[in-house]
This record gives sequence, C-alpha cells and structure tokens, in this order.
Amino acid sequence: MECKAIRDLVNELWGGELPAEAREHLSKCAGCEAFWRDARLVQAGFRALAEEAVPEASLGFASRLVRRLQEWEGIGARSEFFETVGRRFVYATLALTLAVLLSLALPTTGPVRGVAGADFLGLQVASQATQPDVLGGDLGDSHDLIPGGPSD
Amino acid sequence: MALSEPEVAHEVECIRRVQHGESEAFGPLVERYQQRIFSIVFHLVRRRDEVEDLAQEIFLKAFRAIRSYNFQSSFATWVSRIAVNHCYDYLRKVRASRLSYYSEMTEESAHELERKAESPSPGGLDHGEKVALRDFVGRLLERAPEDDRLVLTLKELEDYSVEEIAGLLKLKPSTVKVRLHRARKRMLEDLERWRQERK
Repeated sequence: MECKAIRDLVNELWGGELPAEAREHLSKCAGCEAFWRDARLVQAGFRALAEEAVPEASLGFASRLVRRLQEWEGIGARSEFFETVGRRFVYATLALTLAVLLSLALPTTGPVRGVAGADFLGLQVASQATQPDVLGGDLGDSHDLIPGGPSD
Repeated sequence: MALSEPEVAHEVECIRRVQHGESEAFGPLVERYQQRIFSIVFHLVRRRDEVEDLAQEIFLKAFRAIRSYNFQSSFATWVSRIAVNHCYDYLRKVRASRLSYYSEMTEESAHELERKAESPSPGGLDHGEKVALRDFVGRLLERAPEDDRLVLTLKELEDYSVEEIAGLLKLKPSTVKVRLHRARKRMLEDLERWRQERK
C-alpha cells in the first residue's frame, strides 16, 4: 500500500482497527506511523473534550425565558403600532414639505398666480385700486382689457 | 433522546399552542431541550460564560420562527438546526478575536503531548495527559475553519451519526462524509505543522 492510501485509510477508519496490510506498512514507514499516532492523539483529545462537563442551565432558565418572550410580544405589538403611526407621520411630513417646496419654486407671476393670474381669473377689478401697475404706468393707469376701468 | 408516545403528543400540543399565540406553552419545550442546546453551544463555541446567553438567543429565534415549523423533521432536529446556525454565525462574527496560536500552549502541555506521542500508554490517559490533550485538541479545533469545526464537533463531541448531521445541516450524507474526511485531514496537517515548527 502507498502512503497516501494508508493515510486515507487511517482517516476513514478513524479509530477503527487497521487491516494487517496497513499495519505492516506502518511498521516500515516512520512518516505514516507518526501520522497514525497523531490521529490516535487527536481522537483521544476529542474523547477528553467530550467528557468535559457541559454547563447546565441556571435555575428558572425556562420560566425567565418565557417571561421575556411575553414582554417581547407586548413590546412587539406596541412597537408595531408606533411603527405604523410613525410611518404615516413621516409620509405626511414629506407630502407637506413637498407642497411647501413646490409653492416656493413656482414663479411669482404666471397664469395661475400673481397679478396675471388675477387678470386671468377676472379678479383684478377688486384689487386694481390697491396694486401698482406692473407695466410701469402710474397708479391707476388704465388697461384696455378691463371694461369700466379708471379710463372709462 | 427518544421520546415516548405521550411525550410526543404533549410536545405536538405545546408546539400547536405556541403557534396559536400561547407563549407560556413554550416553557415545557425549553425545559425539554435546554440541555441539548447548551451542549451544542458549549461544544461549538467553547466559551462557558457565553453559553446561557447564546442559548437564550437561540430559543428566542425558535419562538419567533415557530409558526414556520411544519412537523416535517422532529422538533429536536429543528431547534438544534437553529442552534447550529446561530453558533456558526457567532463563530464567524468573533473569528478575529478567537484566533488561537500554538505558542499559547504551555510548555507543560507540549511536553505531555510529545511524551504521549512517543509512547502512547495502552491503559488510557492519566489526568495530566487528559488535560494536555484536551487543551491541545481544543486549540486545534479553535483554529479550524468554521465548517470543519461544525462537522467535527457534531461528530466527535456531540456523537451524532453522519445521517443525523446531514439532517441538521440539510446536506447529503455523502457530503457530510467528505467534509468530515477533509476536516480530519486538515486537523492532522495542522498538528504536523505544529511539530515542524517545534523542531
């Protein structure tokens, strides 16, 4: 048998009885003999480790755990509620912020805003008396578009 | 740990009650499996002071996931699988801090080990030899990659069969055999490297 086959066999049998052919090889090959001895050492080490006393659960471990689970369930339900409410609050704040930003970003004049908007909506009649003329004329200059304005 | 028929029936009842929201029914399940989980955790992690905390985390995980338990494997296997996975994640997380070096081995341990290697006594090990070997193989195990450590621990320390390990790790038995073979080989190579370094 070759050394590799012997080492595979030692690994495969792991503590089991080696066949005569393998034992004969070990008696002639110092390297494989050392390998076999190491395997035996490791096996003995594992046995010693397995014999080590496992720590035991402290008194009342299970009941403490169940109490903690019940607390966790309560906290879980509460946190779920707060999470839902919190999420809605965040969405509402975001929507509001977006609305404010949009209102700031929109031009101050245009078809839906300011003086021109008022023109468009036919509302300038009421405000004309108090607003300066945006076309640069004196206060109270007439606009042809407005029937019944000061020029009439 | 084989359960009798009434024990199995009680266990199934407890599981169903927990699944329907009765958390107090989890208590008997914890009591039944706590020692098994403590053993898995201790052998895998090898930190006595952390066993109880880790076991608690494992049972919390099991409780949270119990609705997904469908009785296809035994509850023992299911909860042990959670324990193994949890320890595996823990070992990966603390990998950097748990690096163990040969040089940490005491001179006394090294001497005992070499003496043992030169003339293995057929009548078993005395206390000193046992401590030395336990210390040394424990260090070899700590140095091993997590996957090797998992299969070696389950086989050599927890005494599970290849089929049981396959069930726990959701692997084929043939895959477990290959992993076990490689893990032992790597461990023996590591031991050989240690010998070379000492020469």
